[in-house]
Amino acid sequence: MAKQYEIPIGAQHISLLEPLHFKFTTENEKIVKTDANVYYVHRGIEQACCSKFKFRQVSFVVGRVCGLCSISHTTAYSQVAEKLLKIEIPLRAKYLRMLVIELDRIHSHLLCLSHVAENSGFEALFMKTMQYREFSMELLEAVCGNRIQYDFSIVGGVARDLKPQVAQSIMERLKKFIPQLDELMDIYKNNWTLSLKNKGAGAITKEDAMRLNVVGPFARAAGLAVDVRNETEDLLPWKEVGFEMITETSGDVYARNMVRLRELYVSIRIIENIINGLPESALITETKAFPDGEATVRLEAPRGELFYYAKGNKTQILERLKIKAPTFSNVAAMAEAFTGNEYGSAPAIIASYDPCLSCTAR
Amino acid sequence: MKKIETTIENLKKDIAAFYKPELQHFMVMNAVDLGEKIEVQWFFSNYAHPCETICFYTLVSPETEIPSIRDIVVSAWVAEAELVDLMNIKVENTQKGFVLEPDFESGPLRKKK
Amino acid sequence: MVLHRLLLLLMILVFPAQRDKILIMKTFLKAIGNVFKKPVTTRYPFEKTFIPDDYRGLIGFDENLCIWCRRCEMVCPPGAIVFSQDMEGKQTYHFNRAVCIYCGECVRACPKEGAIFQTAEPAPCALKAENINNGWNKLFDESLASREAYAAEKKRKAAEKAAADKAAADKAAAAKKEEENKTGADPDTMAG
Repeated sequence: MAKQYEIPIGAQHISLLEPLHFKFTTENEKIVKTDANVYYVHRGIEQACCSKFKFRQVSFVVGRVCGLCSISHTTAYSQVAEKLLKIEIPLRAKYLRMLVIELDRIHSHLLCLSHVAENSGFEALFMKTMQYREFSMELLEAVCGNRIQYDFSIVGGVARDLKPQVAQSIMERLKKFIPQLDELMDIYKNNWTLSLKNKGAGAITKEDAMRLNVVGPFARAAGLAVDVRNETEDLLPWKEVGFEMITETSGDVYARNMVRLRELYVSIRIIENIINGLPESALITETKAFPDGEATVRLEAPRGELFYYAKGNKTQILERLKIKAPTFSNVAAMAEAFTGNEYGSAPAIIASYDPCLSCTAR
Repeated sequence: MKKIETTIENLKKDIAAFYKPELQHFMVMNAVDLGEKIEVQWFFSNYAHPCETICFYTLVSPETEIPSIRDIVVSAWVAEAELVDLMNIKVENTQKGFVLEPDFESGPLRKKK
Repeated sequence: MVLHRLLLLLMILVFPAQRDKILIMKTFLKAIGNVFKKPVTTRYPFEKTFIPDDYRGLIGFDENLCIWCRRCEMVCPPGAIVFSQDMEGKQTYHFNRAVCIYCGECVRACPKEGAIFQTAEPAPCALKAENINNGWNKLFDESLASREAYAAEKKRKAAEKAAADKAAADKAAAAKKEEENKTGADPDTMAG
């Protein structure tokens, strides 16, 4: 039997974007066992939301759990608070929430793809993807007023309206982006040196995906057709605006890149459908009630399924708020999927899982 | 959301009878501090349409040891480790030190008397 | 862009058997072409960046329209607005641009339109001399204490006034009763 070494890839590492910690047991550079922990960025948000902030202010606190999927957290919390208050929001507010969720998905998927390219060693592609991503940040600034922490969904509706000239500029910029997306698709699919690093690395089968309960583009690349937008229709009408499910079969890093790129085409079509068919109505439902009872909500963030549970007791302050981030469900699969791979491909595999530690260890 | 009550003795039997990997997936565990007792919840969700959220819950006193379901649901060790750190409950075969550092005070989410 | 396509076409015509390997060089040639292009970075702060005209900027306040209901202070999530009160009852508005998250909840909560509003200018950075963190904590506690002191003083004055009024009323009633007794005890003056 060969000699075993324990090598950590720790919280500070030159290629890690997020502060996770894995301790690998390796034999001749092949990994045989993994230990994980995530205790570097715990901020006590659930405790603060149940003791210091009133229930209408919690939507602003929760939007600062994560910088990339900020709209998913505020929308999910607003939906669970509206269930506790037993109110319905107006129709225009639902469509505007869907518009910003899809714009957010574009910029988040392009960021993940650029990091996969960087960790595979292809820095020119990293810079090119980031250059093409810049237009989505400017569009979000025009719609929501800020580039990352958009405080767009509030309890009862949305905070701002969509002006006609902003809608016009969104359609124009998307038309300019589609040929650029075709160019990126061509490189990620056909480039020979990139495929040497990505094909076959970090693979996971469909049975393992079901056994380990994984979510997001990670599961869809392995063939498991799970997407919250396909499963819930009561709160936001996804099927009406043209949602389609994208799956691949091989389950490795190459398949995850393909899933993310193909989802961008679907997002662009959804945004165009929403702008062409936006209904007229109010933006906020006012109410003077207090939250009471228990409720749960699921929503599709760019990285997977987001789950919220809230319990109220008829006062201004909530009794319990529980947040489950999508990376939380994928940590168990991450720890299992390293076995059999070489230590040198560990950074590329971690980047392709798209971890977001701020959501996981809040 | 459908809530089903269970007890500590029947927990593994109920979940093993209910959970099939092709039809449901396990989401997360949760615990609510009600003062004298703690309500521990396990959340599952269907893959098929129409999907609903199913919650198994039980009321225990804070010193009870809760059995671990990781031989039925493989990825449950993450949720159990988080609750051991944050709520200071006992789960079999689980140590502290996953979401909080091992020498941090335990149970910061419990209600202070 | 067109030049590298012509180059590839030429090489395929000359070496038709190596077509697959030549197409691999497409990205390589494009990357070399980038040397001759301008950089896409915006040289901020020497060039201006894109700021829309309804950007969420600094909060402005108009003292003449405010009705001092303090609703903006109650809804502010991080606590960036506080009102202090002096002993005559006049309130003063304080705002901290480093604590504010520019969400606009105060603008939505104000019952009088125009008293508090959001502009589109980005907030300037704070210098060390302004002492914007610890100084604000002290100011916040002092403002709350000044409001409590004013409320306590008002209550004390009201209690004093009530006691003084009651004493005066008692005195007047007692004097009137004595007057009645006096006139009642001397019937000659009334008759005569």
